[in-house]
Amino acid sequence: MHVTREVAVAAAPPALWALLWDVPRMVECVPGCVEAREIEAHRRYVARMQQKVGPISLSAPLEVHVVEMEPERRLALEARGRDPVVGAEITLRVALGIEGRDGASLLRIDAEGRVLGKLGALGHGVIQKKAEEAVDEFGARLRRAAEA
Amino acid sequence: MLPPFALYRPSSLAEVADLLAAHRRDAALYAGGTELLLLLKEGLLRVQCLVDVKRVPGLAEIAAEGEVLRIGATARHRTVERSALVRARCPLVADVARHVANVRVRNVGTVGGNLAFADPHSDLATLYLTLDGMVRLWSRAGERDVALEEFLRGPYETAREEDEVLTAVRVRPWPAGTAGVYLKFGLYERPTLGVALAVSVDARGRVAAARLAVGCVGPRPRRFPAVEAEARGQTLGELAADAERLARAAAEGVDTTSDTHGSADYKRDMTRVFVRRALRIVAARAGGQEPHARYPHTIVV
Amino acid sequence: MPDTRTPSSFSITLSVNGRAVALDVPAHALLLDVLRDRLGLKGAKRSCDVQVCGACTVLVAGAPVSACTYLAVEADGLDVLTVEGLGSGERLDPLQEAFIEHGAVQCGFCTSGMLVAAKALLAEEPAPAPERVVHHLRGNLCRCTGYRKVVEAVVACGRASGERP
Repeated sequence: MHVTREVAVAAAPPALWALLWDVPRMVECVPGCVEAREIEAHRRYVARMQQKVGPISLSAPLEVHVVEMEPERRLALEARGRDPVVGAEITLRVALGIEGRDGASLLRIDAEGRVLGKLGALGHGVIQKKAEEAVDEFGARLRRAAEA
Repeated sequence: MLPPFALYRPSSLAEVADLLAAHRRDAALYAGGTELLLLLKEGLLRVQCLVDVKRVPGLAEIAAEGEVLRIGATARHRTVERSALVRARCPLVADVARHVANVRVRNVGTVGGNLAFADPHSDLATLYLTLDGMVRLWSRAGERDVALEEFLRGPYETAREEDEVLTAVRVRPWPAGTAGVYLKFGLYERPTLGVALAVSVDARGRVAAARLAVGCVGPRPRRFPAVEAEARGQTLGELAADAERLARAAAEGVDTTSDTHGSADYKRDMTRVFVRRALRIVAARAGGQEPHARYPHTIVV
Repeated sequence: MPDTRTPSSFSITLSVNGRAVALDVPAHALLLDVLRDRLGLKGAKRSCDVQVCGACTVLVAGAPVSACTYLAVEADGLDVLTVEGLGSGERLDPLQEAFIEHGAVQCGFCTSGMLVAAKALLAEEPAPAPERVVHHLRGNLCRCTGYRKVVEAVVACGRASGERP
């Protein structure tokens, strides 16, 4: 799946950038993320994702690596994990771009991911839709958190 | 092989409720099992027990309630297909039941199971949307009726709470002077696209009401009130001539999802093609003709 | 009857190809596995395992079911017919003879499912038209024959049954 979105945030780039590294607040912004921990600041994190599709529950620990970082401008991370119960392998790549405009920011989100395994095959169409909803929700929560 | 589970066979809804309360997420309701057993086989669902609802009296019953037709949740597709009552009141429901999946699934699968599972690729959900489908949900707290439109929330998602049992679906047969069609298109076991269309004609030969539902192509089937409104007041000849324009309007409004059946764009285009075909078939049927309609990989009901 | 102390295990009695069989089966046992592994009836095949292809077709109370996706306990007290139940001893069922005569068998993997499904159809409609056969066998997939010979065989068998005493 691949989802791109742009979100206008009424907060300047430095404030938005700082928010991105605030792990507890970010856990609240990411739909389906139930916990996250910093392993190495600005480099490695672990998180747990949970998602429900009808009767099927997905729960996977994720290893998150920051692969690109340009302070106050750009952040890209890669996440990888597996739900052993359902046998689903998840890989994600999320790139966030921040553009400052008159004391506010334009946030560009580019999320790419794959779910491999039986769930990926069966849930193909559902996953794209869920991903779009999740990114929309993420953008909305992030904006609220940044503007609060 | 299936993972092990216990099988409970309660003989009343109260017992079903007790079992669901005792086991909660570790229990799954079971009737035909044509979807449930597949999920268990794939390891996508894990439960400790199955609660078989087939021994609860009355749940398989098909009965008339005044103008409305009640189809019990554990009624098999095959029973609906052969029911004299269904054939008399709403022949298209019986005919669509005859084409669900394959003969083996029709013998085992149930109407309630089909609706409760809410697979996007469902013939029943698409058709029943044009029949004011109402789902009855029972729990110890009481019963409630939910319009099918609201019951179906998305792929594999319904408004049924964990402690509720779907006991029946009610459909309202179309009035006299209504011609209908169900078009089912696809190369696979589950349909790629389903179009249900019913057009009621008044004494002057003009469309009094139209009911159009398109399913299987997106997260859930939908009606098209704007297109239905456009059809009203037209003569049958006008409707047939206007079919392409109306079909394009439906295609613009349809919510399609890319998956292994095809891309979102492809499904949008097929929506246009099949809504157009449905309009022409129904215009002919309303005029007393049976058009010779054959399309590749399509069942015309 | 279920052993109510352990609803994970059931004692069932079914009639398989006319013979009474009593078995203890776990709740999660699939009919296909019971037929093939407990009763040695290998005619029904595990092919797609998701009830789509029909290679596992057996009749329960005269109705075709996908044995790969059917709990054995559901057959308790009922008649089960597998391909082994067609014909008797050295005599083939007329349907089997028709399949041979019309070249409706190539690799044979789908054949037991086809025969059993067709048997159910002929029990209800003794002389079905080709469209009826196509409709009824729509869920039985064949990679070899292209279906035409299968349909011809069933239609011919039906027609011939009208002429048989």
